[in-house]
Amino acid sequence: MMPDLASGLMEVTPGIRSHLAGCVACAGKMEGFRQTMALLDEWKAPEPSPYFDVRLQARLREEMAKPQAGWLSWFRRPVLAAALTVLLGVGVGLFFTKGGGRYGSADNVVAVIDSTEPGSAVGDLQALEKNHDLYADFDLLDDLEVQHDVVANP
Amino acid sequence: MEAGALMAAMGPHPASSFQPAVAGEAYTDAEVMLRVKAGDESAFDYLVQKYRRPLVSFMYRMARNTAAAEDLAQEVFLRVYRSRQTYEASAKFTTWLYRIATNLAVNHARDTRHERPEVTVSLDEPDEETGTTLDVPDSKSTAEEFLVRRERMLAIRAKVEALPERQKLAVIMHKYQQMDYKQIADVLKLSESATKSLLFRAYETLREQLKEFV
Ligand SMILES: [Zn+2]
Repeated sequence: MMPDLASGLMEVTPGIRSHLAGCVACAGKMEGFRQTMALLDEWKAPEPSPYFDVRLQARLREEMAKPQAGWLSWFRRPVLAAALTVLLGVGVGLFFTKGGGRYGSADNVVAVIDSTEPGSAVGDLQALEKNHDLYADFDLLDDLEVQHDVVANP
Repeated sequence: MEAGALMAAMGPHPASSFQPAVAGEAYTDAEVMLRVKAGDESAFDYLVQKYRRPLVSFMYRMARNTAAAEDLAQEVFLRVYRSRQTYEASAKFTTWLYRIATNLAVNHARDTRHERPEVTVSLDEPDEETGTTLDVPDSKSTAEEFLVRRERMLAIRAKVEALPERQKLAVIMHKYQQMDYKQIADVLKLSESATKSLLFRAYETLREQLKEFV
């Protein structure tokens, strides 16, 4: 492929070389690609700033402070997942019952959030939600239409 | 390993305790990631050190400015760390990594589609717009040359940016991340031949549109 040949990513075989020597059209195109590749080299990217590492450390520290659990194996087992759903339903039911009012008191809400320990139903669901955005994003690439490329650049 | 210990190993001059090659036996990145999964956080530090620079430059070319690029590259690492428990070594680590990076970059591009990046022209400071520090011109002729070079760099960026999304991704991975067709095809979930033709169309366009600058 010419851009590869032109940028040295692909070896110019004796066969290609002899063709280029005798074919003005191909030789011209090859030179055009070579110049384009050289031009693209001029667009440099910056090094990560010192701030990058500091900020990443801070964000990782925050991440590590969050509760984590091996939650996924639960959801791989339908029976356990179903049981968990039922338990969660019961828990929510109890919570609303104990709270007296329809939404419970503010104190109870805080208590429930505080009990978010690794392995608990609430903790697992939070972890699930957290991971969900990663996998939801994976579908994004599928949306990029080949057709769009063809139309925009025939 | 304590979080603090990992952090200590993550400074600008890290002393990672993780040895990627022991007694002539090299680990693949997928194997390193499996060690992260098993709780070896120095292995994660090793991956950060290995990929921070490529990811920042990838994100820089995908996003519109340096700050966003760094933020997005950090987000990639956070997502890698966050999903360590579910990592399966079925795909090449770099494919997985760049798939995460690509999704974030595409999302970001869509969110900021209508924002114009700030253009700052400075002769003695790192150029925000092009990301490079050009040599300080010491005479009128070099000052002109500087402006011509800068103009050219902005044109290159604009032309790459104007490519259809997948072509842009393919060019950035091929030209600037030195990835081969197979890797790019895997990240973009395309066949190798589709990836080749995608790249060929992109380079054809760039050759045509950058003619005046060569
Ligand atoms: Zn020919």
